[in-house]
Amino acid sequence: MSVKYVPVQWNKNKWLYNAVLVAMVVGYIATYIEIGTPAAGLERPLDNATLRMRAFGTCALWMLTVILCIGPLARLDKRFLPVLYNRRHFGVLTSLVAFTHATYVLGWYFAFSGQPPLTALFESTIGFGQILGFPIEILGIAALMLLAILSATSHDFWLAFLSAPVWKTLHLLIYPAYALVVAHVALGYFQDSRNPVFGVLFIGSALLVAGLHLAAYLKERKVNAAQIDWVKACRPQDIEDKRAAIVPLSKDERVAIFRTGSSFSAVSNACAHQGGPLGEGKIVYGCVTCPWHGFSYKARNGRSPAPFTEMIPTYNMKLEDGFLYIDRKANQPGTDVEPIEYEVT
Amino acid sequence: MTKPVEPFFVGWGKVPKALRHFLASFAAVLIVGFVVISYATSSTQTDTGSGAFMGQVQATGILQNNPYPILHVIESPQFAPGDTILLSGNGKRGAFEQAEGLDGQVVEAAGIRLDRGSLKGMQLRNGRRGLKAAEDQAQSLEVDVEQLGRWSVQGEICDGKCLNGAMRPGTGLAHRACASLCLLGGVAPVFVSAGEIDGSEFLLMSGPEGRAITDAVLDYTAIFVEVEGDVERHGDMLVFKIAPETIKVIK
Repeated sequence: MSVKYVPVQWNKNKWLYNAVLVAMVVGYIATYIEIGTPAAGLERPLDNATLRMRAFGTCALWMLTVILCIGPLARLDKRFLPVLYNRRHFGVLTSLVAFTHATYVLGWYFAFSGQPPLTALFESTIGFGQILGFPIEILGIAALMLLAILSATSHDFWLAFLSAPVWKTLHLLIYPAYALVVAHVALGYFQDSRNPVFGVLFIGSALLVAGLHLAAYLKERKVNAAQIDWVKACRPQDIEDKRAAIVPLSKDERVAIFRTGSSFSAVSNACAHQGGPLGEGKIVYGCVTCPWHGFSYKARNGRSPAPFTEMIPTYNMKLEDGFLYIDRKANQPGTDVEPIEYEVT
Repeated sequence: MTKPVEPFFVGWGKVPKALRHFLASFAAVLIVGFVVISYATSSTQTDTGSGAFMGQVQATGILQNNPYPILHVIESPQFAPGDTILLSGNGKRGAFEQAEGLDGQVVEAAGIRLDRGSLKGMQLRNGRRGLKAAEDQAQSLEVDVEQLGRWSVQGEICDGKCLNGAMRPGTGLAHRACASLCLLGGVAPVFVSAGEIDGSEFLLMSGPEGRAITDAVLDYTAIFVEVEGDVERHGDMLVFKIAPETIKVIK
């Protein structure tokens, strides 16, 4: 969290995260070009440009697959939450790898025609009425443009400028981008490859993305279907110290009840930053801390500690018959609410 | 009974000890997994065939401009007399421009050899350095044209230059746009038959009257199609005089 914008707020975890990403990409490209392809036993070597467009293109495909798996994995198993932490850098690097792939395609297949490559590209795009033979380059360009938009707006400046809901909606474009990439590959390289290995991995990766999203959805639905009457939440002793219980009020609204020793406070479950699940966070240095990017709020008033200015809604609570109850009506963001005191024995 | 306290990660803080092993393992799985997938996909790539640039060549022969410029070799240090060579220009260009006005004449051709199996080709040097009328027009060669009958053939329509090795691979859907540009530039379309016809799987395509047929086949490049037409042998090259209305997409 920050009160000013800098290109990247580096810390040790981000360096480590990015080092792993770079190792993945370098390992993939080097293996593809220097070890795997020479081992393929081709009668004559591939063109250098073709080899590199394949290496970078398939690398971008697998990277995008991993990116899309991180979200549902973190919903299914909280240990994956740290992988979500720096996912934006993962996305930017994927865009760069995809752009490199496109550069090789443009500089090879669309060169040597006596016209600028981009002109040649649009002149040669025929077959819009076909499935097989559809101009896959258009699909790839559309995907690349979406990835470029997502990369360009990945910075927190855009998050604040657009507001969290708009920014989150905008970044759902990752799904159409992935669909375009899948179509780009399915109607192109997948059709050309006569060896089943790529096909099995390609189909398997798409099924993995779909399967993990389905599993995460089913888990969420179970939570949403839980009792949401006004609103008997839980017993105080059910909440671990410095942790929270998440209580659904409706399909779209959840409350996080945090415990700090014997004090209990309820705040919105959605972080003001990116809507992260605050209830999966923890009290760190006396503040509710989001598990996604570490944004912090005081539990009793939903305000970030000075000099930060983010605010989230709070909720009134009462204690009856040993249970905590939540007032369904949220307070304005930043409203101070006296915590419920209960000595857990 | 209390639940065990779960470790909690904050991006700007230290990674909890309980998560370090898990995250290190996950990072290792990603790095090793990417290397393994890279090897698995790259080492099983489909062979692109024998087509390639084969070095500088020259030949004297009879030029035939229809359906596309081909050379029937009379003599050459690199080709055998009677060989039939598919000509193309530099880049994504055919040889029509250089061959204009030379149809049926004895010509001298020079350029880079392109070969793929039974298909022989030459990328001409630019201008008259690549193709010009020979000073000695008295040389001659009997070019046999043999009728091989009506055929219905399944296969892929490619551009004759990339297929011949100007690009590897020079076939397939990923290469389709490049093939379209080559055909639009005047490169000859070649039909790659799924099975051999009279000993060859490569057939130079033409219209029913033996003329160029580029426009009619553009929509069908790089797709598996079935097409019907008459097959003729011109020298040692097969010419497929297709009926465009019979082109049918198989898959």
